[in-house]
Amino acid sequence: MATPATPATPAPMGNTFDFGMDTISLSGSLEAKLAAIKAAGFTQVMLLARDLTGHPDGAEAAARAVRTSGLRVTGFQVLRDFEGLSGHLHQYKLDIARQMLELAASVGAKTMLVCSSTSVHASQDSDVLARDLRKLAMLAIPFGIRIAYEALSWGRTVDEFPQAWDLVCRADMPNLGLGFDSFHMFATNTSLDALEQVDAAKIFLVQLADFMWQETRTAEERITTARHYRVFPGEGVHSEDLSALVRRLHEMGYAGNYSFEVFNDDYAQLPQGFVAQRAMRAAQWLGEDVLRRSVPLPNEMRLRASAR
Amino acid sequence: MPATDTRELAAEFPNPLGLDGIEFVEYSTAKPQALGHVLELMGFRPVARHRSREVLLYRQGGINVIINGHEVPPAQESPQLVAVAFRVRDAAAAYRAVQERGAWPVPTRVEVMELNIPAIHGVGSSRIYFVDRYRDFSIYDVDFVPLPGVPRSAALPPELAGVHLFGVVQYIGAGRMADWCAFYGELFGFTVLPKQERFGILPKGEVLQSPCNQFYWQLVDSVSPDSSSDEHLQRLGLGVADVLAASNTLRARGVEFMESSHVHTEARGALTKSYLGGVMFELVHDERV
Repeated sequence: MATPATPATPAPMGNTFDFGMDTISLSGSLEAKLAAIKAAGFTQVMLLARDLTGHPDGAEAAARAVRTSGLRVTGFQVLRDFEGLSGHLHQYKLDIARQMLELAASVGAKTMLVCSSTSVHASQDSDVLARDLRKLAMLAIPFGIRIAYEALSWGRTVDEFPQAWDLVCRADMPNLGLGFDSFHMFATNTSLDALEQVDAAKIFLVQLADFMWQETRTAEERITTARHYRVFPGEGVHSEDLSALVRRLHEMGYAGNYSFEVFNDDYAQLPQGFVAQRAMRAAQWLGEDVLRRSVPLPNEMRLRASAR
Repeated sequence: MPATDTRELAAEFPNPLGLDGIEFVEYSTAKPQALGHVLELMGFRPVARHRSREVLLYRQGGINVIINGHEVPPAQESPQLVAVAFRVRDAAAAYRAVQERGAWPVPTRVEVMELNIPAIHGVGSSRIYFVDRYRDFSIYDVDFVPLPGVPRSAALPPELAGVHLFGVVQYIGAGRMADWCAFYGELFGFTVLPKQERFGILPKGEVLQSPCNQFYWQLVDSVSPDSSSDEHLQRLGLGVADVLAASNTLRARGVEFMESSHVHTEARGALTKSYLGGVMFELVHDERV
């Protein structure tokens, strides 16, 4: 992707209001991340539990920093390996889930992301998995938090979104829905047509990211790519697929938020402003070109990804 | 626990906890005397005092109201309805069963020789207690000392004929109706009444019926989109056989009622004005005693 010589001007909020950045893409302190995200023109941020617990002045100070940043919290991540455990493992994970919910509530998060289990200790029985998700959703109700359940592409039982959707339907709780991550969908080559089964109102969060190669053949390859080599939408080789996905979600009536779930080792060692501006270019591309929210003025030059 | 769908359980056991009415409701306030005065206007009488804390028990007919003036948060300006105690078949079993379905236990702090009443988190900062000692033995006999000169409850006729606790009104955030219906349905077996079944003069929201058919839980949702932090128990509904007679009795005692074009006293129900910055009572026509 070509890099503009001058920083991109923040787009009008109207075109990018539903796109947000993840703190995971940035280096530095929480305050510096929040400031860079805001300065790039974003109105929302996806937080990691570590953003709070790793704050040098403690989780309460971190929560204050978030609340005073003026950024809306897209969601809070991530609870892993929750469903399907029994006995003391289940009790342990319940304690973790409760702590995560309390942290999420402390920053005013209304959505918590839960990834499908990778644990070999977990049951593979759909009824057991659905029962645990139902319990987790119940724990979240008093806080007004919605649970977005996401299929990790290396999940043990659930590794594609149609399976996650099946569990969401089985569990049948109003505050339990789907977390949707484009990376995992592309990694497993899941057909976009499977979205036809899904109720748009039950998609609670969409995370978007691309990567630089066409195929990830093994679970190990997916894990390495997912954790180190993701790029912002428009920077990788799946731009057409991402466009089709976002347009499809829009046509289905999805009215929730999009967050850029970009784990990238390069971005994690570069200045926050540089990375946040790349994220904003992705938001502008999606908001203006893909969703065609506004037609750019004649002669307005904007540098775009060469991959498209 | 086997992998059974809890909805099937609920259908099989419509009253899974053996719910049997409300044992008490509790207000928290930094001004217990002022709230006590309001309760007395409404026909309640102080009957007992907690052994170790600034907590008073008021009673009218079979309704127990606790005023808790102990460790009130400094930011709390007006009295808050902070707890409802459900009568259940077995409090310990109920406490375990609801946790199994995702309820939050509340750590309780008891002093020596006091009852450990299990509780879970309800809406906002409120709690739901489980009490199973209400037939031969009263929890108040343990934790409370009777006030001098107060007769036993049986000898204390209520000011309002046939008064009983009709229900609780809970305010909820926008878009939260399905969540709270699931909460009360899944944990306790409440069912949502059809829209045409309404009581009193304030029919907004959804009305849930307790599985014991003894009281109702009304959920009123906010019209403001960002209001989820303002979820709380808003008021009590008192069932009376004759609303007009009851409102006249209360007016004579000094209670004022809302009388506007939308909300005014009629045979179906009545609503008192708001006292102390938020305490109000609704009268609902209900011939049960």
